[in-house]
Amino acid sequence: MLKNAIRRLVTFSIDYPKTVIAIVLAVTAVFAVQFPKADIDTDPENMLEDSQPDRVFYQKVKKEFGINDFIVVGITDESGIYRSESLKGVERIISQILKIKGVIAEDVISLTTTDNIKAREGTLEIRPAMSRVPETREEVETLRRDIAGNPFLHEKIVSADGKATAIYIPIQKKDMSYRIGSELEAIVNKELLPGQRFYLAGLPIAEDTFGYEMFKQMAVAAPMAGLGIMIALYIMLRKVGFIFIPMMDAMISIVWAMGALIGLGYPVHIMSSMIPIFLMPIAILNDVHVLSEFADRYPSIRDRRKTLLSVMEDLYIPSFFAPLTTSVGFASLALTHIPPVKVFGLFTSFGIAAAWLFSMTIVPAVIMLIKEEQFEKAFGQERKHLWQKNILKGIGDFAWNRSVLIVAGFSLLLIVGIYGITRIQVNDNPVRWFKESHPLRQADTMMNRLFGGTYMAYLVVEGDKPEIIKDPKVMAYVDRLQKHLEEEPLVGKTSSVADIVKRINFVLHDEDKTYDTVPDSQEAIGQMLFLFQSSGDPDDLDNLLDVDARQANIWIQMKGGDNRQMTQVEERAASYIQKNPLPEGVIRVQWSGLTHINKVWQMIMVKGMLFAVTDSFILVFILIAIQLRSFLGGLLAMLPITISIVASYGLLGIFGRDYDMPIAVCSALALGLGDDLAIHFFHRIQHLYRVTGSLSEANTRFFQEPALASFRMTAVIAVGFLPLLLSSLTPYITVGTFFATLMTFAAAVTLLLLPATTKLLGRLYLKK
Amino acid sequence: MIRYLYIAIVIASLFNFSGTAHALSPDEVMKKAQAAFLYPGKDSKIRVMMRLISREGKERVREMTMLRKNFGEAGGDQKYFIYFYQPSDVRDMTFMVWKYPKKDDDRWLFIPALNMVRRIAASDRRSNFVGSDFTYEDISGRDIEDDTHSIVKEEKVGDRDCYLIKSVPMDEKGTDYAYKLSWIDKERWLPLKELYYGRDGSVVKQFSADEVMDIAGFWTATKRTMKNLVSGHRTEVTFQKTEYNLNIEDDLFTERFLKKPPKRWIE
Repeated sequence: MLKNAIRRLVTFSIDYPKTVIAIVLAVTAVFAVQFPKADIDTDPENMLEDSQPDRVFYQKVKKEFGINDFIVVGITDESGIYRSESLKGVERIISQILKIKGVIAEDVISLTTTDNIKAREGTLEIRPAMSRVPETREEVETLRRDIAGNPFLHEKIVSADGKATAIYIPIQKKDMSYRIGSELEAIVNKELLPGQRFYLAGLPIAEDTFGYEMFKQMAVAAPMAGLGIMIALYIMLRKVGFIFIPMMDAMISIVWAMGALIGLGYPVHIMSSMIPIFLMPIAILNDVHVLSEFADRYPSIRDRRKTLLSVMEDLYIPSFFAPLTTSVGFASLALTHIPPVKVFGLFTSFGIAAAWLFSMTIVPAVIMLIKEEQFEKAFGQERKHLWQKNILKGIGDFAWNRSVLIVAGFSLLLIVGIYGITRIQVNDNPVRWFKESHPLRQADTMMNRLFGGTYMAYLVVEGDKPEIIKDPKVMAYVDRLQKHLEEEPLVGKTSSVADIVKRINFVLHDEDKTYDTVPDSQEAIGQMLFLFQSSGDPDDLDNLLDVDARQANIWIQMKGGDNRQMTQVEERAASYIQKNPLPEGVIRVQWSGLTHINKVWQMIMVKGMLFAVTDSFILVFILIAIQLRSFLGGLLAMLPITISIVASYGLLGIFGRDYDMPIAVCSALALGLGDDLAIHFFHRIQHLYRVTGSLSEANTRFFQEPALASFRMTAVIAVGFLPLLLSSLTPYITVGTFFATLMTFAAAVTLLLLPATTKLLGRLYLKK
Repeated sequence: MIRYLYIAIVIASLFNFSGTAHALSPDEVMKKAQAAFLYPGKDSKIRVMMRLISREGKERVREMTMLRKNFGEAGGDQKYFIYFYQPSDVRDMTFMVWKYPKKDDDRWLFIPALNMVRRIAASDRRSNFVGSDFTYEDISGRDIEDDTHSIVKEEKVGDRDCYLIKSVPMDEKGTDYAYKLSWIDKERWLPLKELYYGRDGSVVKQFSADEVMDIAGFWTATKRTMKNLVSGHRTEVTFQKTEYNLNIEDDLFTERFLKKPPKRWIE
């Protein structure tokens, strides 16, 4: 019945090709006009649901402490920053930065905007670290001493060697980073002296720039992959017209999927921008099956209509179930708690369904529009000595004759893969999404070497009643916790209200080192803070202490932003708190900040993908088992997916590559490619077994036309995605490499292990 | 003959015009406003209640007695002596400011917990006074010659006739706003409303005199609000008790009395 329905669809397309193409193009136009409405979302924070507790807490922390995300500008000078000429330039740069729209001028931390509190001849001086550019040698030396002497400034606004200065620029919204970054670049470039260089760092700019470059890369990468696929298709099929059909099919399904996504009002997120790249190989699968077999059968039939109907007759069922399974697999990603992954799964699923529709309509219609003579010319002579067929015959014979060896070999691969997976390290850092040669990566390395760290995290100490933070016991605890964290080399600098109190105490006592401590009376603490608040920049305190002194915020500057590094620092804090119980009145110590948030979403993402893929895996297994009406058959059909995933991820573990976001996403693709190969194999081998009545004969025949399609498909995808390796963004390189690896393993399993197991177990699940 | 007559009329009308209009220059308006708002009487003693209210409605309180004495004409030197009652952990703290129009203030602070007086040198007129939305400059005023003033028009605020004055700072570095609009009462000379404009043209801060009373012959804004429109934070000030011309002695404004202020000035 199903077969009849599809046959009617294909026959209709063969009979009315122009009508079918016109309808599809008209619908495509409806989807295409949605594109200008695209709302682009490059904020990785949106990987978390709005109600996710860490995200909610981060929003609260940002609001209560008036905190914003930072861009950091570093200026290095070979001859040293401490010279009038150099300082003058820095002053000019800062005053221009303060005028950039979106920069929160009053919170900028820099030489001329941040106050230094010091004692001079019994007077407390509160002035910007550099209130005017020093002219004489002595004045320059005083400035150097002032900054070196204040832990709030040392290694924060000027590096220890005096050869670099940093400007910390809070911005209103993260998605302004890229624009503000470009304006900063223009300002700094204009003022830079010979021997000076500048660097832009900070997570917001890495993330926003990544988002920006990603869309640029999509415009380059997707067509490049398309071109790669076209070249590979030509090598395999040797018919120019045939390479455009699958490409058109892929393009139209991408337009449908993305058009539907945009039209329904979803923003195009980092994840959903990957839909075209994922859709392309899956969309062309069916077409390659159809075209490949068409090319092979045409010479003996010599009539395009009859050839089409004959080819389709064998493909109706597998070509329906393979995409259906893949589509359901992707749709099941909607069960995760990661909003962009849900969207990605659902619309990729829709795109796959659309691609199937086109294989059944556009492909026959276009073939009918090509003149018969053209096919005569291209496929008129039977190509007996086709090199591809020879290779396949060799593979088929080898698989059949050495079945035990093959089973043993793949078992070993499976074991090695499992071992490798146990060694996988889950880790990610948005800055690493850029190649090492990228200016942002270099800036990251440089800035974190020179300064206290560009990765910000916050540790919020929450009390049970107002004023509790001013309790000397609580304040001293905060101070000790900071010291403990600073012993970790990853942690560059920490700042808290305790540091302010210590600084004021120290300065009030004429910079006597014995007073560089937290005083032991709550009143003294209260009065010192009042002094700071009424003479310095009140915002400085607000960032560290909430309005009613119930919560304190410790700023942790880290030199690395990898998930694992963040986890390490968090564990260090946890172990301290375990050994040194929280003082009375403190009820909670909680992490926040962009580096922490990244850790949270990446962990959720990575684990979420694992569960999502496992769910899809089970679903695909059930679907295939039902189609084959055999439990054992279903299990065997899962082998290409299972082994390609285990082996690819195993290699990752063995080579010590981190398991990060892009790699987590790739696992979804293994489902799509692996099940297609398996479903086609089992449908064909069952059919051939029924026709020939002999397993060996079925195998031999499978390695004629049907295997050729699978072989071609593998080659096309493995080769077609190689252009991605040229990308400047590592996730694309990862995806390109991983596609090829997954595909190669999946094909090896299908063409070697499945025939081998069929020889050994075929009688148990194939039906006469 | 007719021509001479004509010239005579023109000349007469010119004299007449300049005679009746007697228009004030914008600087004169600002001088009168400065005198009425910041320099009333020879001296004053005010019990001030400040409520610092965040966007979310969280409130902090500052309560103090503020003593002021003028030295010289309006626009000249002034000395302030401030004693704090609230918040409770700063009770007994005292703060003294010697204000000079042309240079940085001198400030002293007494920290009772350490029994210590410290002089503070700061070039932070734009810093917020005791963490409120008022800057030091808002409390003690800007020098009139630091800005270029112009009269935009005359306009009512409520039922009061006002001059609307635009003041543009000469040195844009010294301020965190681009220009200020003030509505100055034409009769009482108090500013009833002020809007501070940011460099992007939006209003960043807003002042309003919410209650004006005649106290011993001096018009006084006894309730006033400063609102930061960017952060949503605002400060409401109430003068709970205001007295003028008490003959405060000069030597109250010395370091000696910071530690132990005379009872009668702070009760």
